[in-house]
Amino acid sequence: MNAKARAVTVLLTPFFALFAVVMVLPVGYAVWLSLFTEQQSGLGFGGTHTVFSGLGNYAAALGDHAFRDGFLVLLGYCALYLPLLLAGALTLALLLDSALARARRVFQLALFLPHAVPGIIAALIWVYLYTPQLSPVVAALESGGAGVDFLSPAGALPSVVNIALWEWLGYNMVIFYAALQAVDRSVIEAATVDGAGAWRVATGIKIPLIRSSLVMVALFTVIGSLQLFTEPLILNQGSGSAVTSSWTPNMYAYTAAFARNDYGLAAASSVLLALVAALLSFAVTRLSGRSARPGRSPRPGRRLPAAPRTPLTHPVPSRTPLAHPDASPAPLAHPKGRP
Amino acid sequence: MSPSWSRTTLALAGGLTALALLTACGGGGAAGSEGTVTLTYWGWTKGTRQAVDAFNATHRDTKVRFEEIPSGTAGGYAKISNAVKAGNAPDLVSVEYPTLPEFVSQGAVKDITPYVTPELKRKLLPQAVRLTTLGGRNWAVPFDAAPQVFYYRKDFFTRHRIEVPRTWDAFRSAAAAVKKADPRARIGTFFPDDPTTFEAMVWQAGAHWFATQGDSWKLDTTDPATRKVTDYWQGLLKDGLVHTHVSFSPGWTNSLKSGATVGYLGASWGAGVLKGTLPDQSGKWAAAPVPSWDGRPASGMLGGSTTAVTKSSRHTEAAVRFATWMSTSADAVRARVASGESSAYPAAAALRPVARRAFDTRYYGGQDVYALFDAAAASVDGKWGWGPATGTTNTTLKDEFGKVAGAGGGTGSLAAAVRAGSDATVRELRKRGLKVMGR
Repeated sequence: MNAKARAVTVLLTPFFALFAVVMVLPVGYAVWLSLFTEQQSGLGFGGTHTVFSGLGNYAAALGDHAFRDGFLVLLGYCALYLPLLLAGALTLALLLDSALARARRVFQLALFLPHAVPGIIAALIWVYLYTPQLSPVVAALESGGAGVDFLSPAGALPSVVNIALWEWLGYNMVIFYAALQAVDRSVIEAATVDGAGAWRVATGIKIPLIRSSLVMVALFTVIGSLQLFTEPLILNQGSGSAVTSSWTPNMYAYTAAFARNDYGLAAASSVLLALVAALLSFAVTRLSGRSARPGRSPRPGRRLPAAPRTPLTHPVPSRTPLAHPDASPAPLAHPKGRP
Repeated sequence: MSPSWSRTTLALAGGLTALALLTACGGGGAAGSEGTVTLTYWGWTKGTRQAVDAFNATHRDTKVRFEEIPSGTAGGYAKISNAVKAGNAPDLVSVEYPTLPEFVSQGAVKDITPYVTPELKRKLLPQAVRLTTLGGRNWAVPFDAAPQVFYYRKDFFTRHRIEVPRTWDAFRSAAAAVKKADPRARIGTFFPDDPTTFEAMVWQAGAHWFATQGDSWKLDTTDPATRKVTDYWQGLLKDGLVHTHVSFSPGWTNSLKSGATVGYLGASWGAGVLKGTLPDQSGKWAAAPVPSWDGRPASGMLGGSTTAVTKSSRHTEAAVRFATWMSTSADAVRARVASGESSAYPAAAALRPVARRAFDTRYYGGQDVYALFDAAAASVDGKWGWGPATGTTNTTLKDEFGKVAGAGGGTGSLAAAVRAGSDATVRELRKRGLKVMGR
C-alpha cells in the first residue's frame, strides 16, 4: 500500500466508522427487532419474554387499518401538496426572474425566511393560528361569517399542507430561481426579438429549460412526504384535532414504540416505510430519467442540434438550449447511462 | 507524503473517532461512595424537588438526585420506558395509577412486595393500595390519592345566582344557565386529549372497565354506567354547553384567564394547578364535591401518583425506604405542599392534617378544601382497576375523542370512541398472548 492509499484509508475511516455506528448498526438492529415480539402470560403481570415471530410484526402492521390509512393520508397529502408547491414555487421564481434587480433580493429573502424557522416551531405557531378561541385568524373568519374548522377531519389535511407550503415554498423557489438564472440570456433575447411576450418566453423557453429542476424537486418532495412527522405530531399533541396518533406511517411507528411499547411492531412498520420509500425513489428516478430526455439529443456536442421545433428558437449552432436539455445547474445530476 | 505525516493523520483520525464515540455514550449511573447510597429519581409532580431537598437535608446514608422530566403523558412515560429498555433508568420513577399496570406488564418496575409491610399498608388509603397491588404483588408505594373535585368561579356563580350543582342533571342546568348569563362563558371543558378525565367520570358512575376472572381479562365498556356517561357528555358537546380544549394548553389557560371558562372538573391536585396558573384570580374560586348521578357522594380517581422502583435499580431496599418516606413522612408532605403549587392529597391518612395546615387556602377564600378531599376520597369506588394496556387504551381514546370533539361539531360519537378504545385494547392484549374473555 503506498502512502497515498494509506492516507485515503485513514482519512475515510472516521466517516465509515461513524456511518457504521449511527447508520448501518441501527438499521440492522431495527430489522432484527422487527422479527421479535414480546409475550406475556397469566394476567400479564409477570413481565415479558421475547419470542421470535418471523414476519408476524409485518403481518400485524399490514393488517392494521391505521397503518394502511396512513399511506392513504400520504397519498392525499402528495396529491394536494405537490401541485400547489410546484406551481407556487415556479410562479414566484418566474416573477422574480423577470422583476427588477433590487426587488429580487428583498423578495428572495422574504420568501426564503420561513424555511429558516425550524419545522417544530412553525408547527407550534400554526397550531396557535388554527385553534378556535385562541386564534385571531379563526376569530376574524368567524366574524366575517366564514366559520372554518382547521382541525376537523375534513380540515386537517389542508391545514398540514398549508404548514408545509409555508415552510417549503421559498426554498424550492430559490432552486427554480437559480436554475432560471443559468438560462442563457441570448436565447431569451432571441425569443424576444422574434416577438415572444413574457408569457410565451416563460412557457416556451424558461420552463422547458429548467425541467430537470422541476423533476428533481418533485422527486425530493415525494420522498420527503413519506417522512411526514413533525407537523402532524404537533397538531396531534397540541390541538385535540382529527390528526390521530397514527395519522402517517411514521407517526404509527412512533406511537407503537412510545405509547404502546411495542418495539417489534414499530421496527416492522419503519422497515416497511423504508421499503416503500426505496421502491418509490427507484421508480421515480427511472421515470424521470426517461421523461427528462424526450427524444432529443441526449449527448450534447456529439450531434448537431436537432431541427428547431418551435418557431421561437433560433438555430444557434451548439449553443442552442435545445441541445442542452439538462443545462440548468440542478444540484442533482441528471440520471446517467440511458441512451 | 512522508510516513510521519500519515502517522499523525492516523493518530488524529483515530482520536477524533474515539472522541465522537465517547461523547455519544456519555452519562451513566453514579454509584455512591462507601456507605452512602445515591439514588436517582425521575418525576414531575409539583413540589417534588422541595420534598427531595428535605430528604437530603435529614438523611446521611442515602442521597437522592431528583431530575424533573415531562409529565407522564407528555412524554415522561416514553422516556422512562426507553431508559428501562436501554438499561440506564433511574432507581425511582413517578407513575400514575392508570399507567402502573402497563409498566408492570412490561417488567419495567420491580416487585417490592417484601418491603410493603402490613404496617405501611395500614397507613395508606385502601383504594390506593389496591390499585398498586397487581396479581397479588405490590409494585409501587402510593403517594397521593386523587379524588374528583369540581372547581368553580364563586364570583360568577353568585353574581348570576347559579346554584352549585350536586347532581349531573343540575350540572347540565347550571351549564345552560352559565351560557345564558354570558354567551361566551361555559361551565367546564371537555379535554379530548385526556381520556383519564372521562374515565374518572365513568369510574364514578360505577363502571368497571377492566376486570379479571382466573387468568383471563374481561373488558366491559358497554355497561349502563358507561353508556349513561357517554350519552351525557355527547349531549353537553352537542348543545355547546362545554368548551373543548386541550388540557392545560394555552387555549384552556387563556379561556380561564378571560373568564370564558368558569368551572373545572378536576381532582384534588387541581387546586394547586389553578393557584399556580391563575394567580390573579385569587379569592374568586371555590371547590365543591363533584356532581354525582344520585346526589350521594361518589368519586372516581383522576390521576394520582405512586413511586415505583425500576428494574435497573441496584438499591431496591434503599429506594423503597425513600419512596416510603415520601409517602408517609410529615416532612416530605410539608415541604411539598408549602412549595405553593401542590395540593397533593396524601394517600397516608395521618398526613392529611399536615397537608391541610401547609396548604394556603386564601386562594379559595379560606375554604377548607382538604375537608372536601377527605369526603371525596372516602367515596372513591375501590372496585375499579386498570388494565395492563392502558397505553393502547388511552392512545386510541385520545385519537377518537379528537375526531369527535372538533370545534365544528366533529364526526362520530363518544360511544363509538369508547368502543374503538375497547377493541384496540382487546387486540393488544391478545397480541401479547393474554387471554380475554367473552369476545
